[in-house]
Amino acid sequence: MAEIRPDEISAILRKQLTGFESEVDIYDVGTVLQVGDGIARIYGLSKVMVSELVEFPNDVLGMVLNLDEDSVGCVLFGESSLVKEGDSVKRTKRVASIPVGEELLGRVVNPLGIPIDGKGAITTNKFLPIERKALGVIQRQPVKEPLQTGITAVDAMIPIGRGQRELIIGDRQTGKTAVAIDAIINQKYTHTEEAKKLGINPVYCVYVAIGQKSSTVAQVVAKLNEQGAMDYTTVVTASAWEPAPLQYIAPYSGATLGEYYRDNGKHSLVIYDDLSKQAAAYRELSLLLRRPPGREAYPGDVFYLHSRLLERASKLSDKMGGGSLTALPIIETQQGDVSAYIPTNVISITDGQIYLESNLFNAGVRPAINVGISVSRVGGNAQIKAMKKVAGTLKLDLAQYRELEAFAKFGSDLDQSTLKTLAKGARLVELLKQGQYNPVPIERQIISIYLGTKGYMESIPLIDIKRFEKEAIEYFEVKHNNIFESLKKEKQISDELEARIKKAAEEFINVFKRST
Amino acid sequence: MKINFKISHRYAVSLLESVIEKKKTEKVILDIQLIVNTLQSSNELQVALQSPVIKTEIKEKIIVELFKSKIDNDSLEFIKFVIEKRREDFLLSIALRFLELYDEHIGVANVEIKTAFEFTKDQKESLQKRIEQILKKKARLNYKLDTDLIGGFVAQVGDTSYDASLSHQLELLKKQFLKGNISLN
Repeated sequence: MAEIRPDEISAILRKQLTGFESEVDIYDVGTVLQVGDGIARIYGLSKVMVSELVEFPNDVLGMVLNLDEDSVGCVLFGESSLVKEGDSVKRTKRVASIPVGEELLGRVVNPLGIPIDGKGAITTNKFLPIERKALGVIQRQPVKEPLQTGITAVDAMIPIGRGQRELIIGDRQTGKTAVAIDAIINQKYTHTEEAKKLGINPVYCVYVAIGQKSSTVAQVVAKLNEQGAMDYTTVVTASAWEPAPLQYIAPYSGATLGEYYRDNGKHSLVIYDDLSKQAAAYRELSLLLRRPPGREAYPGDVFYLHSRLLERASKLSDKMGGGSLTALPIIETQQGDVSAYIPTNVISITDGQIYLESNLFNAGVRPAINVGISVSRVGGNAQIKAMKKVAGTLKLDLAQYRELEAFAKFGSDLDQSTLKTLAKGARLVELLKQGQYNPVPIERQIISIYLGTKGYMESIPLIDIKRFEKEAIEYFEVKHNNIFESLKKEKQISDELEARIKKAAEEFINVFKRST
Repeated sequence: MKINFKISHRYAVSLLESVIEKKKTEKVILDIQLIVNTLQSSNELQVALQSPVIKTEIKEKIIVELFKSKIDNDSLEFIKFVIEKRREDFLLSIALRFLELYDEHIGVANVEIKTAFEFTKDQKESLQKRIEQILKKKARLNYKLDTDLIGGFVAQVGDTSYDASLSHQLELLKKQFLKGNISLN
């Protein structure tokens, strides 16, 4: 049997201790005057900075938010019951920051960058502050590359560009998170060799879960893992049970992670799910810090809370490396009320919104996007030409359909042209339905929309539309794969290509078998 | 006794300025120290001063009775003024702030020293010298015993701690081990 001599053990122990220096340690201290509800008031610490981390006993961390004349107001990131009146508080001389870098891909971390997925420590020495200033005008350029979400309705009518801020808004249970998760899953394509050849840069994703159930977050992570999307994604989570200060800083941490890619000339997509819960957390701690309440009891700077976060989304100028940070904030409304305080604020900050409605959702239109009031103010510039061409009439057709739909419900006699518009609209709505976790590549979206808008589906019964679309895509793939290839490469529909699509579509119509 | 930085600071500053003008600082300092000691040693007096039930005139009488023969007339006038302005419950914090401001004025740092054991005279002397060297001004050391430190001492100047205690060293050592960068080669 092998033996270990005691002096060997001592030698190893001594080695561990050699790096330890026993000099006088100099630090700044203060005393806790008052503590409770996740807030501490501290006497002393006269040199402390705003948003600096301070250390309480029992390894509880805090962040300074208020600098008053004779005390310092501070929020706790841990159990407030572990901190008592009279405890001493130490400065750390470091503003709240988070580790950044590619080491965080595939990880689940809390807003301070501490991993919570049990996969061990994160080995990176790059730290960036959580609160950073947004870039100025000179460093930016207009959005110009598309960010494909893989959702036909979005990519066709509410296109999102890299560096844009697009709000996803809707009641509970309308599929807001599903849209965001699909967008993450669809970025898998950008990491392939094929995309590299076509000049599409990879998009790294950050999913920030704020105030959600831990079980929901676990589900999302499992789904991303299953789809192979965790390889390029970091999940930042401050669940509902965690103290309000952590929920408040979570989106800023996520933005910092995304900015690392942006500043290195890469592209990132950050999803804030959701900002209404963050506003509620901020309201909680503002009221505890005795800041005066305003409308709906939110503090006066709740607009700044979201504007400074979303301003950090940007497309950098070529001089700065041309990186981008796309933000998809999510807001939950109550009974479709978009005129509440937080929704109006965030709508006005963002570059457009995807509006999800529960009655559409219940009617089986999923994703339940109301395309009538959803807009994208800048994404149009980023849309590829081919999509622009086929989607041009789509929005109009759908608008006409919705207008007539209301009349048609009365069952009165309708003339031929009205019936035709209704039939076309119904088919288009059917076409835009899409399963969850099932993103569609852009070239396939173009073909299905082409078939829908050019009237190839007029003779197809409504119940067959989905099957028609699926089989058409399969047919194109097998018999005319070069069409997809040309669409990917040329990114526009030339007359020659259109003729080929037409020919293939007519061929397919003849072989399609209706169910009745 | 209530603490309100703004109020006590304002009264203390005005007192300091007036005594410097009259060149009576030495006398007044002793008076204020006497007041601080009296107030800190007698809880009853503090309660009496704070009580809203007791009339201002009676409070004034109590104070005059107590300090009349022991302190300078200027100091007594100041206390009367404070009571007249109904700030008697801040008297202690005003007095403490005054002492702080005076130390600042003459350039003396107040240093709280916590030690695990009683220091010898030699040790105290060398510590005093070293601290004055670091702070580059005169220091007044107030010693306190704290056996929790195990060994060494902690010196606190204002908000800054100079920690040379054994308990803190052990804490740091524990943190280093917990960091987990143990390499066995």
